[in-house]
Amino acid sequence: MISLLSSPKTLFRNLGREFRFKLNVWTLSALVLGLLVFIPMAEVLWQLTDPAENWEHLKETVLGRYLKDSLILVAGTVFLSVAAGVSCAWLVTCCEFPGRKLFEWALVLPLAVPTFIAAYAYFDLLDMLTPLLIWVRINVGPDEMIFLSDFLVYPVTALVMASVLYPYVYLLARASFSRQGGQMIEAAQTLGYNPKSIFFRVALPLARPSIVAGASLVIMETLNDYGAVKHFGLSTFTIGIFRTWFALNDMAGALRLAAMLMLFILFLLFLERILRSGAKFDEVKNAIRPFRRYRLSVGGSILAILCCLLPLAFGFIVPLSRLCLWAGATYEKILDSTFVNLVTNSLSLAACSSVLIVAFATFLAFVGRYYRSAGVHASNRLAILGYSVPGAVVAMGILLVAGQLNVTFDVLLTGSILTLILAYLIRFLAVAWQPIDSGMEKNCDRLNEASKSLKSSAISSLVKINLPLIRSSMWAAALLVFVDTMKELPLTLILRPTNFETLSTRTFDLTSQAQIPESSVPAICIILVVVFPVIWLNRKMEARR
Amino acid sequence: MSELLVVREISKTFDTGGCPAVDQVSFDCRKGEVLAIVGGSGSGKTTLLRIIAGLEIPDSGEIMLDGERINGQTNFLPPEKRDCTLVFQDFALFPNLTVWRNVTFGKGASEDPEGLEKLMAMAEISDLRDRYPDEISGGQQQRVALVRALATKPLLLLLDEPLSQLDPELRENVRRELLALLSESGVTTLFVSHDTEDALAMADKVVVLRDGKTEQMGTPTEAYRKPANSYVAKLFGKTNLLPADLVATGRHRFEDPEGGGELVSVRPGDWRVVDPAHDSDTPVLTGRVKSIHDRGGHREILLVGERFEVVARLPLGVESEVGDELSITC
Repeated sequence: MISLLSSPKTLFRNLGREFRFKLNVWTLSALVLGLLVFIPMAEVLWQLTDPAENWEHLKETVLGRYLKDSLILVAGTVFLSVAAGVSCAWLVTCCEFPGRKLFEWALVLPLAVPTFIAAYAYFDLLDMLTPLLIWVRINVGPDEMIFLSDFLVYPVTALVMASVLYPYVYLLARASFSRQGGQMIEAAQTLGYNPKSIFFRVALPLARPSIVAGASLVIMETLNDYGAVKHFGLSTFTIGIFRTWFALNDMAGALRLAAMLMLFILFLLFLERILRSGAKFDEVKNAIRPFRRYRLSVGGSILAILCCLLPLAFGFIVPLSRLCLWAGATYEKILDSTFVNLVTNSLSLAACSSVLIVAFATFLAFVGRYYRSAGVHASNRLAILGYSVPGAVVAMGILLVAGQLNVTFDVLLTGSILTLILAYLIRFLAVAWQPIDSGMEKNCDRLNEASKSLKSSAISSLVKINLPLIRSSMWAAALLVFVDTMKELPLTLILRPTNFETLSTRTFDLTSQAQIPESSVPAICIILVVVFPVIWLNRKMEARR
Repeated sequence: MSELLVVREISKTFDTGGCPAVDQVSFDCRKGEVLAIVGGSGSGKTTLLRIIAGLEIPDSGEIMLDGERINGQTNFLPPEKRDCTLVFQDFALFPNLTVWRNVTFGKGASEDPEGLEKLMAMAEISDLRDRYPDEISGGQQQRVALVRALATKPLLLLLDEPLSQLDPELRENVRRELLALLSESGVTTLFVSHDTEDALAMADKVVVLRDGKTEQMGTPTEAYRKPANSYVAKLFGKTNLLPADLVATGRHRFEDPEGGGELVSVRPGDWRVVDPAHDSDTPVLTGRVKSIHDRGGHREILLVGERFEVVARLPLGVESEVGDELSITC
């Protein structure tokens, strides 16, 4: 990407070099594969040039609503996630209070709860506010009550989403604080800063890039969500895509919406790059030393415990307990022979996707790094864009390509497991690519040069040096993909073959049929399968620092 | 003897910075020679080495290795196809492989097991074959890296700062061993170093770089004794730069880049004390002793006169106090 931004002269020179000196079977296949992954997304963007017939109508009637709901929901969710994530991260890394160690890892647990399941667990949260509405009607007036009841849905949805999405911010902020810990904070301490001013004047500005990165993950997840917003009756872009497509049967309009959403996200990514322009500045070079945490007073400790307990309870303890309660009442009805099928479907789908995606990501990252090819680097960047694009948009892109393939080559791709796995590949490639690429950067770049200089071949470098040295990154990548695939809903919903059900689609189907207590059994299964990898990954992150 | 390596007008500018890292550098290296590229940090010496190894692509210029064009305007031989091997500054041993699997990693390394055994014995690493790189000492790691490179039987061996990772007390020994190993194997060697002592001790020929440009080329003694300019003079150790008329006419002189006329470089050890009345043929510097530092075997005296300030290394026998008047010549 950097080479794309440099001056035309260097760009021209680099491209020339690329073609003359770095074109071989490896780089060529990596380029082709990377671009193939990008094609469905490019096709969606391309729709912007196509005048859709109903577009004017959509624009006048619903576009404003989609935009408004998306923006408000994103703003609210990000605000709550950042507030909870940053404050918990600070307390856990820099303060000492009873239970700190427990909270340090327990605070990531909500990551195991998909947003749509959190929404079902809190399905009656809005109803609980009815007494308030009644009070408002009696004491203020009916108009105000209607306004309030329209308004309340935003904070409630944002609260539910943030309660399971804040760990993204928490994890990245925690890593940043503990990187700074030893040096910056001790230096500020010796300069006589008190904890409050250290937090606001040193730690927070230094952690800004990490917080922005975490917040952007929260934004992507919020825009990706289908189940939760549908349940609370908001009209975000993803909802709009589903509605225009399936209810209005207007494929062109849905594509147009998807394209606009993607454009919006590209803009956000661009913004994030600018905000993170100094991303390197929280990297402290020296080894991290343990440093003395602030010992909190009794009152402070109670406040800290409450502050950490609140998001944990909201995002994990309460939803899981409610689900368990419901499951106890309904499991006999749900657990039958088809349920075993469901579990095997989910597990094997997630496992196959993990293996495929990790292999794919390893290949792309290796070729980009080994040949230091600017072309492959750029195509890799395009290929991993899929993670920022909501599942519904990726699904539309895939269907578009599948349709064209069907017309031109008479290949039927839609409605097969293969298509679904390919869709996961597009959507989750970045999840695997990121840890693998940084693992290679840390461990293998230098050794690859050594192996080249020893006249060894690329394949032997890959097999003998790279793969053994990034084994743990590959495990982490596989688990991350596994977790994400298990939790995935919109993509699976659109692309699954007929009669093929996973735990998440069954959960969704049951709730659509107003069987929320019944949906708790598959929901709990998802959480249980996902929670162990999440704990393991968190351990690994902590061990690294 | 023929030219093994011919480097012609190589230039390279990185995308990130404005100044060229390597600027129009040319030199030759004969078969069997040991050539040193020296320069301060940021002088472009490592970049030049990486270009020759094929790890960087130069913007212009050409390189011939044994008559084959390995870098040119339209061709570029990738590193794995070049008949030269680079030993990295940090050795870049494969941490997941044993010493034996490290040294046999390169192409063709296991074709001649006897030769390899001999090489390992010479480098005294035969006993380490089943150990992993993090289980052996820094000096041993270096020898493993060297054997690993030599095992591929390269025409040209490239060494990046071969001694910089070692403790000062080890360096002397390792330098001797390295030299023995290199001359035993007879391989043409090109190494870069910021330490001119390495060049003086090991190299047949030296190329001095500064800001990517060649400052001087020749034997190390030439660079030490007859520096082309004050940069080279200072790079090769402590020296006194004096206006040419203060020193005997026979000495090597060069233009002062700042326009101060001609300069001469006189090393501290070149001075001797004279009686100004007796020795009148050669110019004598007379000044006052400003400071004296005992350096164990000798004393370093700072002598200040009207137009000069000179550091002279004098034997312990010279009795002199701060403030005394002293006459010296070279």
